[in-house]
Amino acid sequence: MEYTAVIGLEIHVEMKTKSKMFSSSPVSYGFDPNTNVSVVDMAFPGTMPTVNKQAVINAIRVSNALHMSIDDTVIFERKNYFYSDLPKGYQITQQFRPIGSNGYLTINTSNGEKKIRVERLHMEEDTCKQLHSWDFSLLDYNRAGIPLIEIVSKPDLTSGEEAAKYVEKIRSIVSFLDVSDGKMEEGSLRCDVNVSIKEKGSDKLGTKVEIKNLNSIANIQTAIDFEINRQALVLDCGGKIEQETRRFDEGSQETVIMRLKTDAVDYKYFTEPNIPPIKLSKEFIEDAIKSSPELAEARLIRYKELGLNDYDSSLLLVNKETSDYFDKALLSKANPKLIANWVIGDVQSYLNKNNISISNFKVDPLMLGKLVNLISEGKVSSKQAKDIFAEMINSNEDPETIISKSGTSQVSDESALLPIITVLLDANPNLIADYKAGKDRVLGFFVGQVMKQTQGKANPSLTSKLIIEEMNRR
Amino acid sequence: MNYLSLSLVELHNLIVSGKVTPEQLVKDSLELARKDNNNAFEYICEKEAIEEVKNLDPKLKDSIFYGIPIVIKDNFSTKDIPTTGSSNILKGYIPLFSSEVALRLKKAGAILIGKTTLDELAMGGSGTTGHLGTTFNPWDPTHQHLIGGSSCGSAAAISGGIVPFAVGSDTGDSVRKPANNAGLVGFKPTWGRISRYGLFPFATSLDHVAYFNRTVEDAALTLNVLAGRDEKDASSSLVPVVDFVKNINDSIKGKKIAVIKEIVDSINNKTIIDAFNKSINMLRDNGAIVDEVSVDIKLLKAIYPTYIIISCAEATSNNANLDGIKFGNRIEGDSFEQVMINTRNNGFSELIKRRFVIGSFSLLSENANELFIRAQKCRRLIVDAFNKVFENYDAIYCPASPSAAPLMDSVSDTLSNEYLIADNYLAYGNMGGFPSITLPIGFENGLPFGANLTAKPFDESNLLKIANSLEKATGLSSLVAGKEK
Repeated sequence: MEYTAVIGLEIHVEMKTKSKMFSSSPVSYGFDPNTNVSVVDMAFPGTMPTVNKQAVINAIRVSNALHMSIDDTVIFERKNYFYSDLPKGYQITQQFRPIGSNGYLTINTSNGEKKIRVERLHMEEDTCKQLHSWDFSLLDYNRAGIPLIEIVSKPDLTSGEEAAKYVEKIRSIVSFLDVSDGKMEEGSLRCDVNVSIKEKGSDKLGTKVEIKNLNSIANIQTAIDFEINRQALVLDCGGKIEQETRRFDEGSQETVIMRLKTDAVDYKYFTEPNIPPIKLSKEFIEDAIKSSPELAEARLIRYKELGLNDYDSSLLLVNKETSDYFDKALLSKANPKLIANWVIGDVQSYLNKNNISISNFKVDPLMLGKLVNLISEGKVSSKQAKDIFAEMINSNEDPETIISKSGTSQVSDESALLPIITVLLDANPNLIADYKAGKDRVLGFFVGQVMKQTQGKANPSLTSKLIIEEMNRR
Repeated sequence: MNYLSLSLVELHNLIVSGKVTPEQLVKDSLELARKDNNNAFEYICEKEAIEEVKNLDPKLKDSIFYGIPIVIKDNFSTKDIPTTGSSNILKGYIPLFSSEVALRLKKAGAILIGKTTLDELAMGGSGTTGHLGTTFNPWDPTHQHLIGGSSCGSAAAISGGIVPFAVGSDTGDSVRKPANNAGLVGFKPTWGRISRYGLFPFATSLDHVAYFNRTVEDAALTLNVLAGRDEKDASSSLVPVVDFVKNINDSIKGKKIAVIKEIVDSINNKTIIDAFNKSINMLRDNGAIVDEVSVDIKLLKAIYPTYIIISCAEATSNNANLDGIKFGNRIEGDSFEQVMINTRNNGFSELIKRRFVIGSFSLLSENANELFIRAQKCRRLIVDAFNKVFENYDAIYCPASPSAAPLMDSVSDTLSNEYLIADNYLAYGNMGGFPSITLPIGFENGLPFGANLTAKPFDESNLLKIANSLEKATGLSSLVAGKEK
């Protein structure tokens, strides 16, 4: 039997605001457990929530990037349930009036462009982090109250690849908008997947299975494709799909059952009475959008205007940090194309080799720009530039300082080069004759000899020009 | 002379003139608190109060609260001072922060001498359901009459002459009803006028900070200290705060006052009605225009059930944080679920559990339309009906209760108009967030009873003016149990 998959995604994005969604304690990662906690986060009796303005601005910006309608009234609801990681016994969320609704996202897949509808985007707060041991559990309230946005797609996705592209695009949007780190491995972007399959051409939807615990985009793709095949196999063998929650097992690269979904929990939603409805003015919404950081798509257009090709641009836009680094280097007024070559070439390979991220890269992008300028101006050769670059990583010094210290500056002084060239040509009249007879590679030999004698300091293009002139004169 | 039976204004003058020192007042107040036999106290701040009065900033000398001993209901968070909500589930809980009300009073120079008992977690109106048992009415040394609740300990402490001011909270009538039973001024300003930050929530949309005074003027002076926006409470209002005392003695000539016919008619007690009618004449003598106005009796009878559904629904959510995981009186178990179940089973009384069951039931998706959402719609109709009255009137005036303090074992016919309306109508003030004040107007068999004035939101100035005028006419102010007036 042939089947079509119906896939919907729920993505939770942790915002990197300064403070939490409803309290003033800092949002931070990598701190000792329970050090960034306020009485509000731990739900001490009598504490009250206050709304984080930046979180609202962020939600507006992401909604706008997803082409959504933005509700100008912010209202929150309580979602009531008991759980050890839920300090108040309820989560403050936006059940009835999400700030963003009815948008879409365009993805590029191997089958071309596809529009994926996005149903809703709402703000809520994170729970505390749990660490379970065999007979006890530890709770870390640093995470409790961190602002989240939840983005729910329509079930428009049909394959693991499409889902992966969709998540990739969401990740790019939230990170380029400075809303989130968007790191799946660290949990700042989390994704739950709903998969069902139906007979091809049929309108009758199959039973939905939820997959949790997906901590990378690659895993999303693998898990979905596995799950589609699993469900197809079950149906082909005359079985029945159970409504269940599964998780992705990295070891076996398979989805495995976590629990059957029994009757849904009744969350007894009602309006959060401590937060009176907040009316957003038209100006507030417009300002949030206007002052929004530049998305990858807009940067791509800008890069192409700088003369970069699609491929190089896409490498620069692989993440916000790389693109930011490139943008900063541009401020040096060096040639954009050359900067791009360095960023996606030498810089990237150094980072890869040493397994560090560009945000931790020591070389100031302006200094890299300076180095590129020195090359363009012919003050250093490409080969020398590589050595200088290595030294910049080592010493963190200005390229000009490095040159003056080591004396590696290129010899671009004709009066210094001409005597060497004259002696060389005098000693090789036969080669000059060969050159004049059409053997071009003779030029390369002469240039190489000059380089050798100057320990590589001679400006190669100037050297070659002088040699040609000198040979023509003979 | 027991200075502690005086009003804030009188005491303040004595302090300023040097006739009495804050140290002496605090010492006397603590002594009286220790001797209290009405079960008014959860905690007496023996050391803290002495320490605080020692460090009192003389620069605050002009403040009305400078050196004044006060009590606060034990559902207001107080840093380093146990706060239980009179519930076993919070036995041993010592907060890390203070409520905004406690902070503002402290900044004004008030000295906290104790935390007072309440009906468990403020859910109750009798003053009998706190974990320390019944709180008694100082007006009845035989302990047969209720003081009412839920702010029972605060009412007992001030009417018993221990302090001249007491903080309470009012979700249905929890300050205005005990004020009726204890001969006090009980004032609940507009919802949002005073920050609720640090008040243990019972039913957020109905909860108000409220308080007891001995005079209406004291109530106005207190509002000057407590009113105003607090960034920690998003629902606290940005409406400008005026001086509420400045025009309090102005004439009420031409002020229009509505008496709700159906509320008065539901009362059977002749003493109450006679005193009430007499007080209407006093208002008229002072220049007010008092009219009888009708409100749909169906709506009046719906106030109580509407209040029950909304308050129980919000209460079940508001108290879900009391699970033994983070603070309070944890009862261990094999799993986190067991810890929560054991803690809550042991920590809450049966009455509280019953309210939670009602609240949860009314919020369940299969019931919400018939119960919770219907109650919210009904609340809107009730508030609209009273707002309509306020279109033509400055205030609504009715007896605060169908009786003086009732006997402990008295049984009400819970389907009678008297119970459904006269005994429970005050919650309309919470539903609309209206400022509302109860003050004494008479006595029956030595027990005081009062009437209630309510105005439109943020119109405290007018409300206090009318109340002050009435108080001057009745002469019933600074009532203290056992002290001849």
